[in-house]
Amino acid sequence: MEAEVKDQLVSIEKPELIAPPNWEPVIMGILCNWCSYAGSDLTGTSRIQYPPNIRIIRVPCSSRVDPWFLIKSLQTTADGVLVSGCHPGDCHYISGNYFARRRFLVTKKLLNFVGFHENRIQFSWVSAAEGPKFAKVVNKVTEDIKKLGPLHLYKKENFEKK
Amino acid sequence: MNYTKQIQDIAAKLFAEGKIDVFVGYRMNGFDENQVPVLITDPQDVSKLVFTDKSVFNLVNYLKTDHTRRKRVGIVVKGCDSRSLNLMLTESQVKRENLYVVGICCEGVVDDAGEKMQNCTDCMVPDAVVSDEMLGTAVSGSGTLTYKKNADIVALAEKPLTERAAYFEEVFENCIRCNACRHSCPLCYCAKCCIDQETATLYNGANTTSAAFHALMTWSLHLAGRCVDCRNCEKACPSHLPLHLLHKQNESVIYENFQEHLAGVIPEDRGAFYKYSLKDPDDFIM
Repeated sequence: MEAEVKDQLVSIEKPELIAPPNWEPVIMGILCNWCSYAGSDLTGTSRIQYPPNIRIIRVPCSSRVDPWFLIKSLQTTADGVLVSGCHPGDCHYISGNYFARRRFLVTKKLLNFVGFHENRIQFSWVSAAEGPKFAKVVNKVTEDIKKLGPLHLYKKENFEKK
Repeated sequence: MNYTKQIQDIAAKLFAEGKIDVFVGYRMNGFDENQVPVLITDPQDVSKLVFTDKSVFNLVNYLKTDHTRRKRVGIVVKGCDSRSLNLMLTESQVKRENLYVVGICCEGVVDDAGEKMQNCTDCMVPDAVVSDEMLGTAVSGSGTLTYKKNADIVALAEKPLTERAAYFEEVFENCIRCNACRHSCPLCYCAKCCIDQETATLYNGANTTSAAFHALMTWSLHLAGRCVDCRNCEKACPSHLPLHLLHKQNESVIYENFQEHLAGVIPEDRGAFYKYSLKDPDDFIM
């Protein structure tokens, strides 16, 4: 158990020590169907490049995102999470993203409180017309998480008996 | 603070008038100074009831058992308990007409060491907000109580990220996944908990630090904006985990950012995540 604690402390302070060569982060992207998913589609059809580290999951609305999704993805494979939805006022379901916004703030603060770097949990508003913005957001998130290195904190495989 | 006599009289009167089937109160545990909850169905047992500053448990938790469901119940509530009762009423878990609520103007309860409990020193709502009958004189003058951010939270938040991570890793490591926190919480009334769902159980069957992290974090986020800080979970925890840290962290974020929201104080208020404001903070979103 001691080795694991040391591991994750190293991972936060000196990522270069334990990041394997050619390591690429895995980022969980949870996108709302009506804006951000269409926005990411536009990025692709406009031939704008963005890093392939993001794994996209489509949800009906950003308020469909249970904090559990973030906890579970950070606990298993993801090194970081990006949740994206419609701009305030643009929600297909009128007010879904306002409710989501409250939950995101509390979730982010709590995960930061128990030891995750705040850059590992990121949120954005991307509309269906903002293809370039989506590419910019994914670039920024990937860069942030590459700086932090692989996530070892509370990872499931670290605690399984071998 | 000693309302033993009054509560015994009230319970005896209610049984005599046939207004209730069960009375939920406290009795001495029989071997030391501490008290345990008791459900009284026989009017002759009314003399067992006590209420002093050792009455620490939140009795609203017993409204979700089969012994009280669909029955007429008399219950004793302190300030924090009444907030959780308020939420249970709002969430349609109990019917108000089935209840006779004895509210207490609470001066704070003490722990095993005889010191006032931490949540009582920070308490914002000492007087019961739901009641048919109040005992004692009101403790809270209008608007005299101010919100104090929990001292443990402030101390932890000042530490660097790595130290916090190491501290919480030890907390989650000591969890034995007995789910006593869940069973002791009045607001955890779901018949089937999402943490126990088939996929989650298969996925997190073993009792590891990682699984405890998953369970406790999900649990605390499902209670965010609803937790009333009665600390029943902490009293029930056999590993003595500082569970209030997670709840108070959420509570302080919600109080500071969402129009000073406190769970269960206003009737028909369903909690911070059931409403929104256009002025909610947006600066953390790209």
